[in-house]
Amino acid sequence: MSSFPIGDRGPSSMPASQRPPVILIVTALLFGLAALAVPRFGTLGNIENVLRIAAILGIVACGQAIVVILAGIEFSFGASAALASVVIVMALPTTGVVGAFLLGSLLILGVGMVNGLLVARFSVPPVIATLGMLMIASGLAAWLAGGLPIDAPPSDAFSFPARGRVLGIPVPILCAAAAFAVLHLLLAKTRLGRGWYLVGANATAARLAGLSVPRLVFSGYAVAGLFCALGAVILTSRVASGQPMLAPNLPFETIAACAVGGLPLGGGRGNVLQVACGVLIVAMLNNIVVLLNLPTAYQLILLGTLVIGAVLLQRDWAFLGNAVRLLTNGRRG
Amino acid sequence: MNQVIAPRLLVAPAGIIAAGLIFAAIAPGFLSLGNAASIAGQAWVLVLLATGQMFALAARGFDISVGAIAALAGTLAAMAANSFGLAGLIVAPLVGLACGTLNGWLVGRLALQPIVATLGSLVALKGIALLVSDDGQAVPLTEAGQATSLAFDPVLGLPPLAWLALACVLGAQFLLSHATLGKRILMLGANPEAVGLVGADAGALQIRAYQLCGLFAGLAGALMTARAGAGLPTEGAGMELQAIAAAIIGGTALSGGVANAIAVAAGAFFVQVVLTGLNLTGVSPFLAQVTVGLVILGSGLMDTALRSLLTRNRQPKDVSP
Repeated sequence: MSSFPIGDRGPSSMPASQRPPVILIVTALLFGLAALAVPRFGTLGNIENVLRIAAILGIVACGQAIVVILAGIEFSFGASAALASVVIVMALPTTGVVGAFLLGSLLILGVGMVNGLLVARFSVPPVIATLGMLMIASGLAAWLAGGLPIDAPPSDAFSFPARGRVLGIPVPILCAAAAFAVLHLLLAKTRLGRGWYLVGANATAARLAGLSVPRLVFSGYAVAGLFCALGAVILTSRVASGQPMLAPNLPFETIAACAVGGLPLGGGRGNVLQVACGVLIVAMLNNIVVLLNLPTAYQLILLGTLVIGAVLLQRDWAFLGNAVRLLTNGRRG
Repeated sequence: MNQVIAPRLLVAPAGIIAAGLIFAAIAPGFLSLGNAASIAGQAWVLVLLATGQMFALAARGFDISVGAIAALAGTLAAMAANSFGLAGLIVAPLVGLACGTLNGWLVGRLALQPIVATLGSLVALKGIALLVSDDGQAVPLTEAGQATSLAFDPVLGLPPLAWLALACVLGAQFLLSHATLGKRILMLGANPEAVGLVGADAGALQIRAYQLCGLFAGLAGALMTARAGAGLPTEGAGMELQAIAAAIIGGTALSGGVANAIAVAAGAFFVQVVLTGLNLTGVSPFLAQVTVGLVILGSGLMDTALRSLLTRNRQPKDVSP
């Protein structure tokens, strides 16, 4: 496998360097600047708030990252999360809390598998497949719920995924940490992950190397669905209701997080640290818009500019990296 | 090539007939003149959006921002019409053109992937539309009566704005079949390298394709505003999907290089027939949305099937250099 030139673009070529990666510095700089310039940003309560929001975003972004590494794109996350939330709340009286969460998760896994099947077996472009599934899932969610949110009967078990604490740490943050760990293991340590990188970098080469491209693509979308399922369970528990319009911007935010983290949307590259930093940047910026009392429309404008700007920067990343390095070295020296 | 009508172009008319027959059997009022007129009246917004999308697809691109462009253009046009009179609606195509230029510049000059560029502008334009309209409030036209009469009262059989839309579709088809620009855009989609060999600037062609797409989206926005008698900043979500589906059903190849504006208009009419038919049969609008999703998936599958079918037939030709 090492004879493939694309191997150079894989994860192994990212040097385990002594200096911290650029994206980490950028994230830290943004945090520092916001803490200095934005009132109330640096308070402990707000930081926990940012982390809670970043946690849900991060879990789903893990799924998006897999799809992006496969040179695909996934638009149906928000709609399938909404469908799951409606189904979870409707199933609650009959199946109990655990059963309902399980059912919702299976549903999202199913949506991911259908996406995978369409993309992998029938070579439907990922945009068309996932946008089509977005329409179907959000239509079904609205139909099931009658167009309006349905309240869930409050219970401790139901609110545990969003509001519970284990050892003093909020459960969503623990879940996010676990999701990032799983993604890291998948991408860096398993044949599955290596296969995803190869397919994303060059599907033809991967096929010629004897990999089953359709199977790898299918599994990627299915695993992405599992990550989204975990996010959807926490989201549903957080809003304590079945909402047909649960998280319409979730796909955009996760794509933005991947792009900001430096994952090329053409596929083939990317690691967990990049995804995590991208997620933190998006969450911090959204939080800053709220703290500055700007209309939430600015979040959308910022998000759109961020996607385009980040992808443009990726090409001149080296320039920005050098600038940041110069800056940090200058401070140390 | 032109002696035989490509099988792609027959899908939409066949679909319209099939859907018409099915709904005629289920819904009693479907095959009435009034209903046909209502479908014909409603379809034009989608026709314009799909025709614009066709240019982006033909150049091997993609524009998922057309719904957002139409909403923003329609809203700004309503504001302009309120201050300068109904002629202010002309702002809509201009806004569309500007948005299209931005998309085209991002794709053609900065070499962004079409999805990334238009996703970014989709989200950002949505935000701008919310911002200018005080968080999504509709902007009612002061001269709503005049505007709706432009959109609804027939002159010589069609409302004036429908005539305009029809003229735009015919213009688009003329551009594709007779103008250098249209042929070059098709060429760009069929074989990007060939464009350079004949001395054309691929980036400039991409910019033109997205400009046309934006322009048509802006026109659709003006039509939406005139029909509703108000600028609707949150309208148009999901329209980009219907437009893409209509363009594909209308025979536009996702792999670029094949496009016919009249067939695309037929594709848009097919989508409208399905939507109106479902409405008449009393299906919940949410399930109609599900059906649109299925139509989109179906159009994607159709494109794959047609591509593999056509390349299989063409294989012997490709072998000889």
